[in-house]
Amino acid sequence: MSATTELPTKEANLLKGHEGAVLAARFNGDGNYALTCGKDRTIRLWNPHRGILIKTYKSHGREVRDVHVTSDNAKFCSCGGDRQVYYWDVSTGRVIRKFRGHDGEVNAVKFNDSSAVVVSAGFDRSLRVWDCRSHSVEPVQVFAPFLRFTIIDTFLDTVMSVVLTKTEIIGGSVDGTVRTFDIRMGREMSDNLGQPVNCISISNDGNCVLAGCLDSTLRLLDRTTGELLQVYKGHISKSFKTDCCLTNSDAHVIGGSEDGMVYFWDLVDAKVVSKFRAHDLVVTSVSYHPKEDCMLTSSVDGTVRVWKK
Amino acid sequence: MGLEEDDFVFHGTPIEREDEIGSRKKKAVAGASGNLRTLPAWKQEVIDEEGRRRFHGAFTGGYSAGYYNTVGSKEGWAPQSFTSSRKNRAGARKQNISDFLDEDEKAELEGQSLSASSQFDTFGFTAAEHSRKQAEKERHERPSAIPGPVHDELIAPVSESVGVKLLLKMGWRRGHSIKDVRAGSDARREARKAVLAFSADESTKGSSDSLVLESEVKTSLDSQINEDIKFSETTPVYVLNPKQDLHGLGYDPFKHAPEFREKKRSRLSAGKEAGYKKPLSMKESLFGPNTGKIGPGFGIGALEELDVEDEDVYAGYDFNQTYVIEDEQPVRPHNDNTLRLTAKEHNVLPGFGAASNSDYSVERFDPPKIPKDFVARHKFLGPREAETKPTAVPPPDVSPPEDKNLKLLIDGFATFVSRCGKLYEDLSREKNESNQLFDFLPGGSGHDYYVRRLWEEQQKRGDQSNLQLDFKVPLSVEKMSAEKRGSLLGERPLQKSLKETETSASSGGSFQFPTNLSDTFTKSASSQEAADAVKPFKDDPAKQERFEQFLKEKYRGGLRTTDSSRFNSMSESARAQERLDFEAAAEAIEKGKAYKEVRRATERPIDFLAGGLQFTSGGTEQIKDSGVVDMKSSKTYPKREEFQWRPAPLLCKRFDLPDPFMGKPGTAPRARNKMDSLIFLPDTVKAASDLQEPKKETTVEEPEVEVQVENVERPVDLYKAIFSDDSEDDEEQPMNGKKEEGQEKKNEAAAATTLNRLIAGDFLESLGKELGFEVPSNVTYPEGTKPVEEDSKSKRKSDASSERRPETKEKPEEKTSSLKLGSEGEKSTKRSEKSPRNWSGEEKSTKNKEESPRNDLSSSDSSGDEGRRRRSKKDKHRNNDSESDSSSDYHSRDKRSSRSRRKRRESSRENRSSHKKHYKTKDSSSSRYSMDEDRKESRREKRRHRD
Repeated sequence: MSATTELPTKEANLLKGHEGAVLAARFNGDGNYALTCGKDRTIRLWNPHRGILIKTYKSHGREVRDVHVTSDNAKFCSCGGDRQVYYWDVSTGRVIRKFRGHDGEVNAVKFNDSSAVVVSAGFDRSLRVWDCRSHSVEPVQVFAPFLRFTIIDTFLDTVMSVVLTKTEIIGGSVDGTVRTFDIRMGREMSDNLGQPVNCISISNDGNCVLAGCLDSTLRLLDRTTGELLQVYKGHISKSFKTDCCLTNSDAHVIGGSEDGMVYFWDLVDAKVVSKFRAHDLVVTSVSYHPKEDCMLTSSVDGTVRVWKK
Repeated sequence: MGLEEDDFVFHGTPIEREDEIGSRKKKAVAGASGNLRTLPAWKQEVIDEEGRRRFHGAFTGGYSAGYYNTVGSKEGWAPQSFTSSRKNRAGARKQNISDFLDEDEKAELEGQSLSASSQFDTFGFTAAEHSRKQAEKERHERPSAIPGPVHDELIAPVSESVGVKLLLKMGWRRGHSIKDVRAGSDARREARKAVLAFSADESTKGSSDSLVLESEVKTSLDSQINEDIKFSETTPVYVLNPKQDLHGLGYDPFKHAPEFREKKRSRLSAGKEAGYKKPLSMKESLFGPNTGKIGPGFGIGALEELDVEDEDVYAGYDFNQTYVIEDEQPVRPHNDNTLRLTAKEHNVLPGFGAASNSDYSVERFDPPKIPKDFVARHKFLGPREAETKPTAVPPPDVSPPEDKNLKLLIDGFATFVSRCGKLYEDLSREKNESNQLFDFLPGGSGHDYYVRRLWEEQQKRGDQSNLQLDFKVPLSVEKMSAEKRGSLLGERPLQKSLKETETSASSGGSFQFPTNLSDTFTKSASSQEAADAVKPFKDDPAKQERFEQFLKEKYRGGLRTTDSSRFNSMSESARAQERLDFEAAAEAIEKGKAYKEVRRATERPIDFLAGGLQFTSGGTEQIKDSGVVDMKSSKTYPKREEFQWRPAPLLCKRFDLPDPFMGKPGTAPRARNKMDSLIFLPDTVKAASDLQEPKKETTVEEPEVEVQVENVERPVDLYKAIFSDDSEDDEEQPMNGKKEEGQEKKNEAAAATTLNRLIAGDFLESLGKELGFEVPSNVTYPEGTKPVEEDSKSKRKSDASSERRPETKEKPEEKTSSLKLGSEGEKSTKRSEKSPRNWSGEEKSTKNKEESPRNDLSSSDSSGDEGRRRRSKKDKHRNNDSESDSSSDYHSRDKRSSRSRRKRRESSRENRSSHKKHYKTKDSSSSRYSMDEDRKESRREKRRHRD
């Protein structure tokens, strides 16, 4: 099948440097660079295409769980076990700001399109929106149950993942819901999947949400109706935070497995198109190049691999 | 007084009276003699020994000191001798303590205070004190290198007390015990000296001479050591152990390593006696062979000098190489003292001598003898299944074979073997030796997979009967998942009613939320009892348990059944199979033909496994079923709820979006917020609790209905809810199994409403009822069916969500979008076309299969609830419609229509799947909708206030 050939299954580079598990690997906006973060409390900037470590960012006091770069590649944010969201300057390597407020570990961070806010998903069952523009350190909005004025109901358990669109904030939580907060409409849409949601990612056409659940299943939801479109199985995802994503053409679904494999499913008929052993240990993160067929996988074994077709 | 003074004329200078001059002195004397004390307090004066007044009032200068009540100078506070320290800094005068002391204090410091005279100073305290002061005085005279009084306290000059003096006079010498031992040793020494002298005379024997000399020294040393045993500790140790190293005071580098102190001492003594004595070689026994050389080891920086405490403990330090370096000894005047000192240092305790050759060795013990019959394995007494069984390693997870049929076969077979025991496997292996299909049994292709499957199956059935003892495997290490944590935290309190022998172990995947309150509403006692009474799976307790669980959940009204809780352990097919069994059994029980049916149900797997060939087909069927069931259960799952959510204005700003709540007429949302939190708390709480329980309810859903009834905040909706019940029914898609049930419901409702009408003669109400009646009478069921509208209603209990998108607008958009979709990209179209294929057809069949028995089961009691519900709705309505004016009436009707349309859509969504993707252009329409909605909401708000 031609589909398999266009999938990034050949290892192009091995990025070594992290001591201990790498928890996330993310491309920057144009895909030329990659940021990885891990248990060694560092964030590393790489050129994944040449396999060069460019910079190491150290300031976190605990493990770093997620990192995200602004669209202009000038800043990035990171979060982790130290309950804070760090807002960094890429070139100087300095922390511009630390956003405090989460009562627990922060699992995921994302910038919005204009990089004006950072949204963080925390263990404290909340999504918090932080303003990067003003100098106020209070979150712009807390998606937390105790603020009933701003939100009618929110997450009941740890929020594991967050995704932003132009007008929405989508969070996936261990309570089994994927909640879409539509800012324009002033609505919260909660899609209960019945299984803890580990990771969510949005399709490139913006119409579907892929939710990785802890019952070793990826679920594809229609965003407008909340309908379950497809279910992808085969991999193992039961206790670790393993990522999932879609290819640029939305033709395939990619998911990391706890046995070190990476699975490719056909989006439509949910067949495993390809799978290969990417790492020896749990694949923590899978991220896809924004334009090319290139993929980053990170693993607990401390390596990040770059895959190309 | 002035007048009288004018009268006197003075000539010459008056003679000063003498007593005036000496008045001060006199005063002082008087003060000393105590005359002053007789005066009242305010007349008393404090004077110094010269009679000067020392204290003045606040206005006359305060405390005065020095020259003319100034400090040191006539001019005042200027320093007496100012020397600029700028030029000659070194010459700057140092302040002294005596600068700040009064005479009496100085005198005190001089030691003129009361103390024992040196004559009677038995213990030498006074003398010591005196000498200390003397030393201090000296120190003041010549400033020392070390500032501060520290060393004075530490190093006190020794004074000799009377006792010491006496003892010394009696012939006692310092450092010796008082016992008279000197004589003997002296005698010995004299004798030895004599020998030495004698031998020295015979100088011809050179070599023997040196030998003798050495031996002499040795013996003398020995004798010294012997003597030292009796040495007393009269002299303070610090005199004998002057500080020679550069450690901080009080720092003991050997604090935790006393061996090394010994080493050091021996090294020192070796240095002292370097001429004739080698250091004790205790280290050999400590370190073994001296292989290691000194080198910068751990913890020693490159720039740090290697000090004693930096000795590499682990490297095997060779003291012989380095003792030469440190041979700066304090020179002791008394030779014998030195000897004694060295000898003493070998003593760990007074009265004990160090062995000349250290025979310290670790006593080794042979390892205990293990009895021959000892088995190195611990056996637990208690019957813990996990441990008692020999723990077979779980076979590796093998990917299923390519051949679908084979996979199905293996799956089914594994399930069955796990159920029936290994015996069956053996049997069938024999039977099917020639059968190609069963190649996997003896170890052909797919054998691994089969083993794995079997293992999984057995795991699932892990803790039940003692059938497959040899295959029991402990459950794999349980990881702490969120659900597990939840269950640990007791977040499923109502589950306790079950016997949880098995579930606690295997329900790791169960996803339950604390509010199972709905049980109390939904459980129909009768059917439960029936289920309890009849135990269709008696022979298999675990299964029976699961069955009970199934029933429970079923009567709770959920589709979400055991399969969720056993997701980890049970395979799809097994679950499906079991589920079908359960359904059948439940149905049978319900129908009262329990025994026969149940037997059929239980025997079913055996039936279909009876023939080898039939097995495959059964397997496929089974799998299909499982898929169906799975689809159905998952179908219930992605359940959407909508809430109003107010984004912070700043958030909108940052997202470059208009605030949806900003351009609203009035401050509806704000007021609402407050009102919500204050008044409608129970409602929101309910909604929250609903949210919390993962949607188990699809068919029969009383608690949800209750919620809706309680939604007082939307009278219009309520009105509509009452009247649109049936109107929407006719528009629903057909569902075969529902017809009778729906009819039944309607009849029930009709009865209830007529009853209500009789009770309350409200005209409007009756009108409403009329409407309610009329509609069903006109109803035409297109396919002769009437769906359960409760489902769809319950799906959105929050009314806020119900008015989101008027369908009239949406429909055309959908169509256009679907058209657009075609051009958009191949993939998405493929998806949208394909997905319906995946479950649209199957779904219907499942619906029929699944829901018909359940509806039968529940209809009896649900219908009663239905009536109640309606009644309550009516009551609410009665309250409301008194003020419902024509406009609201109109509004409600308008709404009703929209709602029914929505409902239609909702319900049809499940069946119609061609419009999977609504590529709505929400953006354009949203603001309009929100406006619309807002108006409605504010109106509702007003009404609520009136209530």
